[in-house]
Amino acid sequence: MKITICIGSSCHIKGSRMVVEKLQQMIADEKLENEIELCGSFCMGKCQQGVCVTIDKEFFSVSPDSVCRFFDTEVRSRLVK
Amino acid sequence: MNELCAEIGWKSINHFGEQLCGDHVEVIEKPDGRSVIVLADGLGSGVKASILSTLTSKIISTMIAEGLPIEECVETIADTLPVDKLRGVAYSTFTIINLKKDNMAELIQYDNPHIILIRNGDTVSYPETELNIGGKKIYNSVLQIRENDVFVSMSDGCPHAGIGSAFNFGWKHEDIAKYMEGLVSVGYTAKTLSTMLVDECNRLYGEKPGDDTSSCVVKIRRRVPMNILFGPPSNRDDCDRMMSLFFSKSGKHIICGGTTSSIAAKWLGKTVKTNLVFTSKDVPPTAEIEGVDLVTEGVITISKVIEYAEDHINENLLYEEWEYYNNGAAEISRMLFEEATDINFFVGRAVNPAHQNAELPLNFSMKMQLVQRLNESLKAMGKRIKISYF
Repeated sequence: MKITICIGSSCHIKGSRMVVEKLQQMIADEKLENEIELCGSFCMGKCQQGVCVTIDKEFFSVSPDSVCRFFDTEVRSRLVK
Repeated sequence: MNELCAEIGWKSINHFGEQLCGDHVEVIEKPDGRSVIVLADGLGSGVKASILSTLTSKIISTMIAEGLPIEECVETIADTLPVDKLRGVAYSTFTIINLKKDNMAELIQYDNPHIILIRNGDTVSYPETELNIGGKKIYNSVLQIRENDVFVSMSDGCPHAGIGSAFNFGWKHEDIAKYMEGLVSVGYTAKTLSTMLVDECNRLYGEKPGDDTSSCVVKIRRRVPMNILFGPPSNRDDCDRMMSLFFSKSGKHIICGGTTSSIAAKWLGKTVKTNLVFTSKDVPPTAEIEGVDLVTEGVITISKVIEYAEDHINENLLYEEWEYYNNGAAEISRMLFEEATDINFFVGRAVNPAHQNAELPLNFSMKMQLVQRLNESLKAMGKRIKISYF
């Protein structure tokens, strides 16, 4: 699974660094490094909905407050059991 | 593009407890590439010294730049300077670096510590002729400048640093030269070199300088072009034109901005590889595009560069940050302040709809202001700037 987080200007101001760091931490805690690939992107063209995150090609709007919920609901359910 | 040019930077600190500096540096740069640099040290300290050194440096630099002989300059100063009531003399020492055509330099020195010339990493001596003008002993030298020559001029506050505490007789001229030799090879800007010398003196004085202390450094270098792309064009049909003009320029290429970098990557037929390493809290990570020297985020990174630039031309307190940090803003700062002499800006005027949001501290007019502010600071550093808008 590939999770892409936008680190462009708008998303940076809306807290993309916190989103990235929380995701990195959760992936490390649960030893999911082999299942999940994290990458960055400059601007996905949907700045109003930032922080912009995609799982494979699917778009999500995440904030530093909602990142844990996002991980629990969207990421976990997609992991291959 | 191959001619030599001079990068000039200076820093002064005041005699402890004084509001004004009694040393003054004056630079005149002529459009034909000639420059005259004068460092003057007025008698005493405070307001009187400041007036003496300001008058001296302004008069000398103007007259020398107009091609008048040194004898006339000295005469004019002697006739103009107010006479100190206490000491009965009108007095300001001076150092002149006159960079002429055909890579010739003339050094004229009166009673300041002699200029240190560092060539290929070593201090070298240069011939001096002693002149006697109106009872003043003035040393004159004419020499051919070479690439990487560094001239270090200073006021006597430098060799006097540490007298009686760190050193018995102050910081010896040859030891200052050794100290500077070690720094020159690193590639610091002239401004940073002068800052490091004055900061070290300040440290030797125990942060309470017993004299006004100044240094002015002149670095001889070749012109280096640099190109920076910032923002997509206002009309998307201009992308190809903007990209082909940008990439056709010689020198390194820097791209700032998310959308801008994807346009450039598309034009080059490459991809943008973004980094997820946050090396600094307040500067977004950089990215890579094959064929581009540096790719960064836009407004936030540039704002940081401006903070560094405005500090660099004034107090220069933050140079260690951009000199050693590993983030987009620090990298741009090193490339623009240290490497480049001629900078071409390619500025796109597209309005990013996502930035026109009252909640965000970003908007279009701010972006244009950023370009202006950066332009002004870089000009103050002596860079030649060309801005093209799209």
